[in-house]
Amino acid sequence: MNRNVLIIGIVIVAAIVFVLFAGLGKDPQHIDSPLIGRPAPPFTLRAVGTGQTVDLESLRGKPVIVNFWATWCGPCFEEHPTLVANARNLPNVQFVGIVFNDTDDKIMRFLAERGSAYPTLLDANGKTAIAYGVGGVPETFFINPAGKIVAKFEGPLSTELLQENLEKALR
Amino acid sequence: MIPALGRFIILASVLVATTGAFIAYAAGAKRSPEGLRWSQRFAYLFAALMIAATAVMEYALITHDFSVQYVEHVGSTEVPMWVTIVSLWSSLEGSILFWGFILGIYIAATTWVNRNDHQEYMPFAIGTWLSVGAFFSFLIAGPANPFLTVANPPLDGPGPNPLLQNHLLMIIHPPMLYLGYVGMTIPFGFAVAALLRGRLGQSFLRPLRASLLLPWVFLTIAIMLGGWWAYEVLGWGGYWAWDPVENASLLPWLTATAALHSAIVMERRGVLKGWTVTLVQASFLLTILGTFMTRSGVFNSVHSFTQSSIGPTILVFLAAVLLFSVALLAFRIDSLEAEGRLDSAVSREGMFLVNNLFFVVLTFTVLIGTCFPLVVEAIKGKQMSVGRPYFDAMVVPIGTALLFLLGVGPALPWGKASKKESQRALLPPLITGAIVLAIGYALGVRNGWTLLTLLFGGYAAHVTLAQMWLPLRQRLKKGDSFGPALVDTQLRRGRRRFGGYIVHAGAVIVFVAIAVSSTMRTQQEVTLNRGQSTTFAGYTVTFIGTEQRAEPHRQSTIARLTITKGGGGGTPSGGGGTPGSGGGTFVTTMEPRMNQYAAMREPIGTPAVYSTLAGDYYISIMNLQGDQAGVLIINMPMVGWIWFSVLMMGAGGLIALIPARRRTYVVVPESTAQIDSEVVA
Repeated sequence: MNRNVLIIGIVIVAAIVFVLFAGLGKDPQHIDSPLIGRPAPPFTLRAVGTGQTVDLESLRGKPVIVNFWATWCGPCFEEHPTLVANARNLPNVQFVGIVFNDTDDKIMRFLAERGSAYPTLLDANGKTAIAYGVGGVPETFFINPAGKIVAKFEGPLSTELLQENLEKALR
Repeated sequence: MIPALGRFIILASVLVATTGAFIAYAAGAKRSPEGLRWSQRFAYLFAALMIAATAVMEYALITHDFSVQYVEHVGSTEVPMWVTIVSLWSSLEGSILFWGFILGIYIAATTWVNRNDHQEYMPFAIGTWLSVGAFFSFLIAGPANPFLTVANPPLDGPGPNPLLQNHLLMIIHPPMLYLGYVGMTIPFGFAVAALLRGRLGQSFLRPLRASLLLPWVFLTIAIMLGGWWAYEVLGWGGYWAWDPVENASLLPWLTATAALHSAIVMERRGVLKGWTVTLVQASFLLTILGTFMTRSGVFNSVHSFTQSSIGPTILVFLAAVLLFSVALLAFRIDSLEAEGRLDSAVSREGMFLVNNLFFVVLTFTVLIGTCFPLVVEAIKGKQMSVGRPYFDAMVVPIGTALLFLLGVGPALPWGKASKKESQRALLPPLITGAIVLAIGYALGVRNGWTLLTLLFGGYAAHVTLAQMWLPLRQRLKKGDSFGPALVDTQLRRGRRRFGGYIVHAGAVIVFVAIAVSSTMRTQQEVTLNRGQSTTFAGYTVTFIGTEQRAEPHRQSTIARLTITKGGGGGTPSGGGGTPGSGGGTFVTTMEPRMNQYAAMREPIGTPAVYSTLAGDYYISIMNLQGDQAGVLIINMPMVGWIWFSVLMMGAGGLIALIPARRRTYVVVPESTAQIDSEVVA
């Protein structure tokens, strides 16, 4: 038996198998946001329905939850009741919906059917979504009272997940 | 009905492969000729079942039988017939079935070719192939079963991934790759057989080498086709991105290339047996690693199959084969005794060793770069990516060193060379190298690595041509006439040698073309209004307008641009010009397009390429809005030479593969004997 071959071989095999095994079950499409810990990119957008403009700067002092969504997105249907319910229960937290790649009348119809509890802003040219590095909808950003992004969540939120991420903004 | 038939055939193939593997190993252990005959029958039966299963699936696809789950996933009555046929390999389950199909054909063909030869090794080889076959038919039967029944079949399906429908190269790239990947199973079986038998005789080198060279040819062409496809379809103007799956196809190619070279030293000198066998095993293992990379969802890549659940199964198989290979090597490598020894480092065999070293270093470099993000994430929990800068910094110097060896190695004689002999062999090609370098410099090349590539490329080209000329010159000296001497020395007797040097010649051009096209490329992004022109890299581009074209499976917006040469133009001029208003001579019309597929949100662009011998003029649409087109124009010298010269490498490999008509060895005079039996892969 050639002991050197055995030892070198086992080391290489163990290393490869360990690394590949560790990678299993991870989503390679998932990318950590570089925005976490940084000031939230500012935006001033028009609210659907009221027509008022909302400026992120003006919301300082409160934790802000920014939810990117669209009426053509299935998971957004799913999480909408959670967001509305939590917005009603948490008066000290400012919820903001930002819709991109969509039209006013579709959004109005969506909100009329499913209820609304916070301003919904239209990101007409998608610039705000780009600034936040939104890769798909829904995506939710948690901003602390000082205006820093503390967490990002991809996909539909549940109340537990929302609370968990919100706590980071309250710390 | 069809799903049940498919599942039945696959279950039968699991049974046949498993039983056949046991019979074959037992026959090998007992040296039983009867057992060998039975294992051959099982090999043929396995192939027949795989072919039948694939035929059933193709039938289901063509008849749009949406009760078959795979057809429900990838079928569509809207897509053209060719897309329907090739959608066999457009998604995970079908591609594994296709894998089994090719494996079956390889196993049956190799078993048949060697049906009366190498009886000592064949049972172990067949046993190994059928074991691999058993694993793949298990995958098809279980985790990746394409024949599941759909309870309520829909009337129509989504069709295959639009990227695959976007270009005809998609018909040939995946099958070529599978022919390369799957084919590595065959030399692996031979290597395992040699280790189990504890012998690697001279006569067994022929099937080992041939079985390695054939998939090498396919893999070479497949890698090129993949690059070409990316270049023609993806629109970013490159052909290689160090994407994990591109790397996965390169890794076994590197080790197989190293093995083809070390096999030559083994044949000439009777050394490096264990090393060659290790490289052959590594080539197979790396194809399984590549399969894992593409299908596990661990690596993010343009090639990733989505929603794959077979990752763990392949990983278990990979780990098992790795351990089996290491254990087999550890226990048996010393039984493959060296019959000779190496005399001198400054010799052809010495250069072969250095070549092998570089190929292995390159393999590890690419492997580490590919897996490093996983390591970092596993240990530190941080995400990172290893991109172009790492690979360029590591691969360019090693590649340049390999090009250097490509010149110096074949120039040096076998055995011990005196200082004078070495000088006489090594110095003259420097002149050609210097000439090529000077031409490049005169044409504007300033990048240091590219200049070095030109020097070494010219050197290697000189050596390669001289080596091709050498046997011919000897025949001419003896008074033979040119024509017959040419055919006899290159195509009849020296086929392996000649084929090998064709590969080398192709490789030299590939090196130069890659260096020039990547360092000399220029590009410009510009927005043009209808009728507006811009001048870039010697051509004037005028945006004429757009056109919509509707096909059953896609909606295309085509931008039409005319290309003229000479005449004015300048930077984007004011609109309102007429086509070709630059006043130069008309060259061509280019039509890059955006294709919108029904099932996809994002449109997929197809660039337009105008190719000449000097290089490519490449236009890709960035965005189209009304009368405005944002386009990316790239001027890339020499890029077309890459496709052509890789095909040349493949052709050289095929020439070297054609078996010699006579298998008897005749005694020939010393001087010609050396050249005729000289082998170059």
